[in-house]
Amino acid sequence: MAKNKKKLSKGNRVGYAFVLPALIFMLALVGFPIIYNFVLSFYNMDVMTMGQHTEKFIGFQNYTDLFQVPTTKTSIINTIVFTVGSIVFQFILGFLLAILFHQDFKLAKPLRGVLLISWMIPVTVTALLFKFMLSSSGGVINTILVYLHIIPKPLDFLVSSDLAMPSVIGINIWIGIPFNMVLLTTGLSNIPESYYEAAAIDGANAVQRFFKITLPLMKASMLSVIILGVIYTFKVFDLIWVGTGGGPVDATEVLSTYAYRLSFTQYSFSKGAATANILFVMLLVVGIIYIKLIGKDEVMN
Amino acid sequence: MQKKRTYRKIILNVVAIIVAIIMLFPVYWMIISSFKPNAEIFAAVPTFFPHTFTFDAYTSQVGASANTGSNIYRSFINSVIIAVSAMFLSCVLAIPASYGLARFRIKGSRTFILLFLITQMLPATLTLTPLYLIYNRLGMIDTYFAPMLSDMTIGIPFVILILRPYFLSLPKELEDSAKIDGCTTFTAFTRIMLPISYPGVITCAVFSFLFAWGDLAYSLTFVTSENMRSMTAGIYNFIGKYGIQWNCIMAYGTVITLPVLIIFIFLQKYIVSGLTSGAVKG
Repeated sequence: MAKNKKKLSKGNRVGYAFVLPALIFMLALVGFPIIYNFVLSFYNMDVMTMGQHTEKFIGFQNYTDLFQVPTTKTSIINTIVFTVGSIVFQFILGFLLAILFHQDFKLAKPLRGVLLISWMIPVTVTALLFKFMLSSSGGVINTILVYLHIIPKPLDFLVSSDLAMPSVIGINIWIGIPFNMVLLTTGLSNIPESYYEAAAIDGANAVQRFFKITLPLMKASMLSVIILGVIYTFKVFDLIWVGTGGGPVDATEVLSTYAYRLSFTQYSFSKGAATANILFVMLLVVGIIYIKLIGKDEVMN
Repeated sequence: MQKKRTYRKIILNVVAIIVAIIMLFPVYWMIISSFKPNAEIFAAVPTFFPHTFTFDAYTSQVGASANTGSNIYRSFINSVIIAVSAMFLSCVLAIPASYGLARFRIKGSRTFILLFLITQMLPATLTLTPLYLIYNRLGMIDTYFAPMLSDMTIGIPFVILILRPYFLSLPKELEDSAKIDGCTTFTAFTRIMLPISYPGVITCAVFSFLFAWGDLAYSLTFVTSENMRSMTAGIYNFIGKYGIQWNCIMAYGTVITLPVLIIFIFLQKYIVSGLTSGAVKG
């Protein structure tokens, strides 16, 4: 003990005094719950067994049970479809807007800032707002589309099983565009102007400059935008819970809404915990790739 | 050549305006719909500016208070209490921690930083069930503390990831000279380092407020009585109860968005810097 104390220099002890309160808080409210969630997924804890204190260890049964229910597979596939669909379009549209607002014109800066609003609005509000705008009675998007003869009659965007998923993806794209745009704009402005000038002197046209200079030099920021996007889209809960409730049937059920439903509308806490763990494992894989890719330097220095 | 360049700029400005109109139309639509009577909302031809301008959607909520509990203003206060305390406490815990991780060579600091980075990526769903059971056992369900403490778990790692590099970028000589002038490590931190890093601190405060303000999952799960609910949980329950009174729902939405818009107007540059350095998405 005494030896240990000696090892901790004064600087060390003062450092811990600064760090420990936050660390202990996070261990208590995140670390412990994660372990508890893991343990819970091997028990048969629900509102019944909890009340009677009869919960017991059942091994992997929650997981095997879950994979016998079609909804589980559906929600895994939906999670992937929702994520990939959102990311592809958010990224492309965000990139186009980043290039647009990277040009030098008067309104570039003020308008780029204003676009952030769609990302900042609480997602619950966004979901309800689009539910309103997409509704087939009185929804303004339907009215505009019918007026422009794009569709013959109003569509049940969030209520029909075919359109619900594309619709929630569309809403999520609207939320995510500014995020992609801002991060990619930073990447663009880090490319030295002299590269473009040199290429122009050598006779490269705009398309060549884009593919030979912009894209290769943007590789790092593109990667981190995409992977961060994947991580944040994987865990989207409120947009879908408020927008469609995972329905119709389970057309938009993703892992986070499914886990919520199991725990808090069916009160099968252990099944909810197991579902959340499936999501956790998927995220972990992406997270590890992310940390590997951005390299230790950026995290540690 | 000169003329060509002017044309180009005009076109760019016009395209940018069109993009902004398309992207911001939903927000405009929410605000003007909240000032329409419900009959006008369901009119066959939508009105792009309210024909009958009314505050009904806002005022009808005032009387609805005590009994139905779906009162905008009560839940606004609940949200303010939860979000402001979550913001304040996140900063109190996380700012010293970021300083400690930036300034002291402590054992395990790499592991700590990695842990904070990972927690920032975790879904709320993962801890929702265990936290519910824990709060339930501690008798904390249906208190402000349950959503507040949970919101802090999003704010704290974000603050640390933003502020640690910020403190690292400040010259160490500042502290050294403060110490020569008689400061302790702690007073050097509070009197010298903290004031000069205020832009980073503001960014952190703004984001930890926004995380808590926008949260639905925690307050929906951990708060059961209606007069304790936050705005997001309140509006969610409102649709369950009142169906499609869109003008009232949009009024509710406008009130939730108002603080966000105010923050945006006054603190925009901090939001951009937070976004780019922390790369977050709430």
